[in-house]
Amino acid sequence: MKLFNASHVELKRDFTEDFQTNPHEGGWADECIFFIAVEDMEGKDAALKAAVEISHDGVHWVAEGTVSDTISSLGLHFVRVKHFGNWLRLNCSITGEQPVFRLNIQIALKG
Amino acid sequence: MDITFSSRFKPLDKVLVYDVFNNGLNGWMEIMPNFCEAPDFGESPSIVIKSQWPPVMLSTATFRYPGSHGSLSGQYSLKVSTRPIANPYAAPPAAGSLGQAIKRLSFHHLKRKYLQFEMWFAYTAEQDKVDGSGPQPGLHESSIRSFGFGWDLQERGNRYFSGVRYLNSVDGRLQKKWQFIYPSSKDDKDWAFDTEGDWCIKGVDPFWCAKRYPDGRHDGYLDVPNGQQSLCYNETDCKLNWQYARLLIDTEKREYIEMQCQDKTFDLGRHPIYCTAPYERIDGLMNPLMWVETDTNRRVFLYVDSVVISQE
Repeated sequence: MKLFNASHVELKRDFTEDFQTNPHEGGWADECIFFIAVEDMEGKDAALKAAVEISHDGVHWVAEGTVSDTISSLGLHFVRVKHFGNWLRLNCSITGEQPVFRLNIQIALKG
Repeated sequence: MDITFSSRFKPLDKVLVYDVFNNGLNGWMEIMPNFCEAPDFGESPSIVIKSQWPPVMLSTATFRYPGSHGSLSGQYSLKVSTRPIANPYAAPPAAGSLGQAIKRLSFHHLKRKYLQFEMWFAYTAEQDKVDGSGPQPGLHESSIRSFGFGWDLQERGNRYFSGVRYLNSVDGRLQKKWQFIYPSSKDDKDWAFDTEGDWCIKGVDPFWCAKRYPDGRHDGYLDVPNGQQSLCYNETDCKLNWQYARLLIDTEKREYIEMQCQDKTFDLGRHPIYCTAPYERIDGLMNPLMWVETDTNRRVFLYVDSVVISQE
């Protein structure tokens, strides 16, 4: 039977500017989905983009190439990544006028 | 019983948990707030922000130069970690400065006196930047404030926390001594950093409640008698050495019996365990815990290879 695990990397937290999620080790897994739940949002033209980053040590990071669609609505969104080595995080950029995103971000790993 | 198990552990008669994290998370997860508030499962209001304690993860202990360190039993261990943030020791803990792993089980038979926790562990600080002083400014042993293990329990109408922690560093000054959970606060308000109306109850959650003082004292812990011990912390933050720890308590008399780390056994002298009034619905609760706290704005890690919880 495969292993599966989902963990929160951000939990019901309000974000108003660019941020990176806490580093997560997923070397045991073959596939990953970051679930990005927008529980609340404010601000004219508020938009968020989430780019997958990978790392060899959890300290130094490089773009993996996968980027979410522009997120500008409440509800559940996701980013999928298949080939990542061990360390994973999201580099998120936020734009708009006085934007606020209340986010609940989970990393779902399977392998 | 395989030879590795019998050589590494000395369990009591009934083995309730034998978790080797090379096989997976085995039901251990991070501690989180309760989400019970309207309108959309809001967090219960509190002076302590627990939503920032990071998730536990299966770790290969992979570092910048050596690559993967692996674990004692294979490739993976359970990593309990913090975010890179800390308040001074005497202040309430910063959101994210602690990480705590929990497994949730329960007492399942009547004959229950002794309860024992054993684990093989290692600890280190993140190798993020060279910012120390002295001959090895890139060695961050003093960034690790403490780590510990024990239980959150409720049985026979008594709710109690029992456990020990290794107080490693206080505001950058190495301490290297063991302490055990026992509250000395005057009342609930004193326990909750002089806050009125918080849900904090004296004796519950000593990890983030209770006042602490610049000399290392903490109103949630007492020093283990003759509890000084210098554990193995290697020459660089990317070298781990797996070590053994054990705690034995009496759940009938609710007393501490003894703890062991490596080759030193510390007599806890049947010191009483502090009990509070029971909570609704949770009698029989047995939650083993493992935790780590950072002393500075740097992530620190407690790696746990394997855990045995036993009873007789």
